[in-house]
Amino acid sequence: MINTLFRAALAAASLALLPATALAQGSEQPPVGAPKPFHLPQTRSFTLDNGLAVTFIPYGLAPTTRISVQIRAGNIDDGDRTWLADLTGAMMEEGAAGRSKEDLATAIAAMGGSVNVGIGWNSSGVSTNVLSQYAADATALLASVVRQPNFDPAEFDRVRQNLVRNVDIQRAEPGSIATEAFRRILFGDGHPYGRSLPTEEQLRSYTLDDVSAFYAANFGAGRTRIYVAGRFDDVEMEAAIRAAFGDWARGEPDLAGGTAPRHGPIVQLIDRPGAPQTTLRLGFPVMAIDDPDAPAMTVMNAMLGGSFTSRLTRNLREDKGYTYSPGSGTTWVIGGGFWSFNADVTASETAPALRETFMEIRRLQDETPPQAEANNIRNWLAGVFILQNASTGGLIGQLANRDLWNLPADYLDTYVPRILAVSDDEISLMARQYLPLDEMVLVLVGDLSLIGDEVRALPEFQNAHIITASDN
Amino acid sequence: MTIYRGLAASCAALLLAACQPADPVTGTDSAAGDAAVTHDTSFQVDVSYYRLDNGLRVVLSEDHSVPTATVGVYYGVGFRNEPQGRTGFAHLFEHLMFQGSANLPHGAFDNLIYGSGGVNNGSTRYDFTNYYEVVPSNALQAILWAEADRMAAPNLNEAQLDNQREVVRNEVFVNVINQPYGGWIWIDLPMAANENWHNAHNFYGDLSDLDAASLEDAQSFFDTYYAPNNAVLVVAGDIDKGETLAWIEDMFAPIEAGAPLPEIDTSEPRQNAEKFDVLEDALANQPALAVGYHMPDRGTPEYYAMTVLDQLLLQGDDSLLTASLVNQEGFASGVFGGINMLGNAFNYDGPMLWTVGLIHDSEFSVSEVMDTLDTTIEGVRTDLVSEVDVERARTKLLADFYSTVDTGTRFGLVDLLASFAMFDDDPERINRITEGFEQVTPELIRATAEEFLRPSNRTVLEVRLAPDDADAPE
Repeated sequence: MINTLFRAALAAASLALLPATALAQGSEQPPVGAPKPFHLPQTRSFTLDNGLAVTFIPYGLAPTTRISVQIRAGNIDDGDRTWLADLTGAMMEEGAAGRSKEDLATAIAAMGGSVNVGIGWNSSGVSTNVLSQYAADATALLASVVRQPNFDPAEFDRVRQNLVRNVDIQRAEPGSIATEAFRRILFGDGHPYGRSLPTEEQLRSYTLDDVSAFYAANFGAGRTRIYVAGRFDDVEMEAAIRAAFGDWARGEPDLAGGTAPRHGPIVQLIDRPGAPQTTLRLGFPVMAIDDPDAPAMTVMNAMLGGSFTSRLTRNLREDKGYTYSPGSGTTWVIGGGFWSFNADVTASETAPALRETFMEIRRLQDETPPQAEANNIRNWLAGVFILQNASTGGLIGQLANRDLWNLPADYLDTYVPRILAVSDDEISLMARQYLPLDEMVLVLVGDLSLIGDEVRALPEFQNAHIITASDN
Repeated sequence: MTIYRGLAASCAALLLAACQPADPVTGTDSAAGDAAVTHDTSFQVDVSYYRLDNGLRVVLSEDHSVPTATVGVYYGVGFRNEPQGRTGFAHLFEHLMFQGSANLPHGAFDNLIYGSGGVNNGSTRYDFTNYYEVVPSNALQAILWAEADRMAAPNLNEAQLDNQREVVRNEVFVNVINQPYGGWIWIDLPMAANENWHNAHNFYGDLSDLDAASLEDAQSFFDTYYAPNNAVLVVAGDIDKGETLAWIEDMFAPIEAGAPLPEIDTSEPRQNAEKFDVLEDALANQPALAVGYHMPDRGTPEYYAMTVLDQLLLQGDDSLLTASLVNQEGFASGVFGGINMLGNAFNYDGPMLWTVGLIHDSEFSVSEVMDTLDTTIEGVRTDLVSEVDVERARTKLLADFYSTVDTGTRFGLVDLLASFAMFDDDPERINRITEGFEQVTPELIRATAEEFLRPSNRTVLEVRLAPDDADAPE
């Protein structure tokens, strides 16, 4: 929900008028001392004979246990049947081992949890968070959902209709419209990464047999890793996992074929008459997550648009007031990655907002950032690393990411030193190397009668392939 | 006013509502030996509560599991307090509090927090506006100083007001005006359901009211509401309570108390007839339905019964409305809502709705959906729910509580401590949070449902698709 009703602030303007009233406290800021060391919790990992890997993460204060079963199966395995993975996941929520959805939901709720099946681009998760005393029972229940979905024909039409409805709802959202077009340009129609939403006809053509076949081809012990985080009895949980998953078949081999995103210059304009804002997606292909440049990319992103103190946020929001929630980030995929900047800007300020965005990219490319600014950004990433790893869900997410991308076991332990070692020059180098403006991919969703001419006239687009299509 | 320096002087002068340090935060070694029926409730939150001479309430909670400290400054002013003709002002003012203060020029506050490795934010709700940050604990003293600086003297000026007016306008666009469904369930429904202006206005703000907001409005709003006697300060995490309290005394005690707050009547009359409203949405592809029932008063036995009813009827895949509306009838992909769409059952203080919402296919009529909803809800108004079902609802509430307080940022923990200090003058309540649920019986649940889930106590808001040729709203 609007957990935002956000706020404001930035930049270093000393234009501010200081009130003449007496100061209520000392005017000297107390110093910020040296940070205390932060240690990741000790984990323990083991692998079952069928290839299923397990990681235990003892952590937390409250007597709860989070169990997450991560399978290397996702939309990348859809082939040309977009969202077949989602339909499979939705059917996995409809009962297992002969028990109904309600029966399972009631059982897990009595343990304080619920079963969630989440489908991602590259991996899927079946997870729950329960009171610790039920962790072993919950493991058995999760195993039935993962291993023995009912795939009951009586539920299929309703579940498929749910997905049809969800797609229809998403197609009305400017952000989804923009993202769909953006990904199609970046990855093309020929790869699942390039197809973020199915058509209604497509969805309606899928059968329960398709779902069963997708499940059989992509779910198995050999592609699964279980993470247990929280307060739990190590011996009891190992026994529970061995009992529930030990005899699961290894399954089919992992054949996921990744792809690297493409570059532009391509600009797509999508008309949304009457829209008071323009929704924009700006992107460039970048390196893969295991590339030596990745830490420098992370620092560059945080400085340019990835934090509240970033240059794009300060300029577009805190100085110009063009937008509320601008932000950039790097998305890693199998086969590469891309950097993107997202914002919803006041329609009449679309061209000025783009000009400022291009200016900030050029400025970072041309000038090594001041050391104080770079230090702040590196410190911020080091501090945020603590927050990312200070909860059971966060720890599982970090470790699952490490494992999905086959990163070294000590990846998280060495993350902060790698970030702190990025030099000020390297930050600019990343912007030069990976964000060449003459190769940008840009999608704008807005009122073209209002913004079209001014945007088309921007000098950056002189050599770009400009696509004008209405939202489908 | 007296300025106290140091812990010794403070303790003598402070009203110590919770002198005894609570037990350190612990859990047990979990499930292994527990009997199946009893839940581990040994989890305790460390709580110490103080009040400075200027009225500032202070809650400290020590826990060294992660070397970070979380600060929350809660002011007792929200949507309900904002002046007529200035809808959205409480939220606009929240933005202004980030624009610099006497010793921190514009941007310095955020640079201090982010540069030391933290994050911050603020939010505006019905009955409070909060400002919160989590930082590595070595930065705590500096962050407290910064919060004191803006409590004492924020830098309110025209340039920043104009800038943030544009930012807020874009916020309203991106969250409401340029989105399908917009504010249907969290703005439009309360506006339709409530009678009293304080509860029934557009709290994100009419754009014309935002345009009319002036610097004088801002100064007067600050003077009236942003005084230490209308605030709660919570610090939780890797702290030394004695040292932290001494810093707080140094930095906050010199800020002068404000005049007593203007009293407003936020009460709602008992609703005696069902209300209906329709919202035409030019952007949505599917119709939607939101239903709001007036809640029992916060803290009453019936209120606790409603928190249990919320679990039984609406929360989770085991809930009755999910079973009927989603699984059996297939009207929608999911049904959602609860107590307080802008928070939870604890962080408000006034009239509130229990809300149910769903986005359903066009082929189903509103009356079909409402018939099923009525049948489901009539069940709990007529029949006694089983003890097993009540126990499961309590278990879900306990698990929810743990999920709220045991997070990486401690924002959920700080929010509960601040809410219990601000609205109940009793942050220790966090360690008795399950007591209210334990006293709920099947009989009380039925009686509560009979009175509060009657159709004449509700408002039904229908989201209809606008004709195809309609323009997007603005």
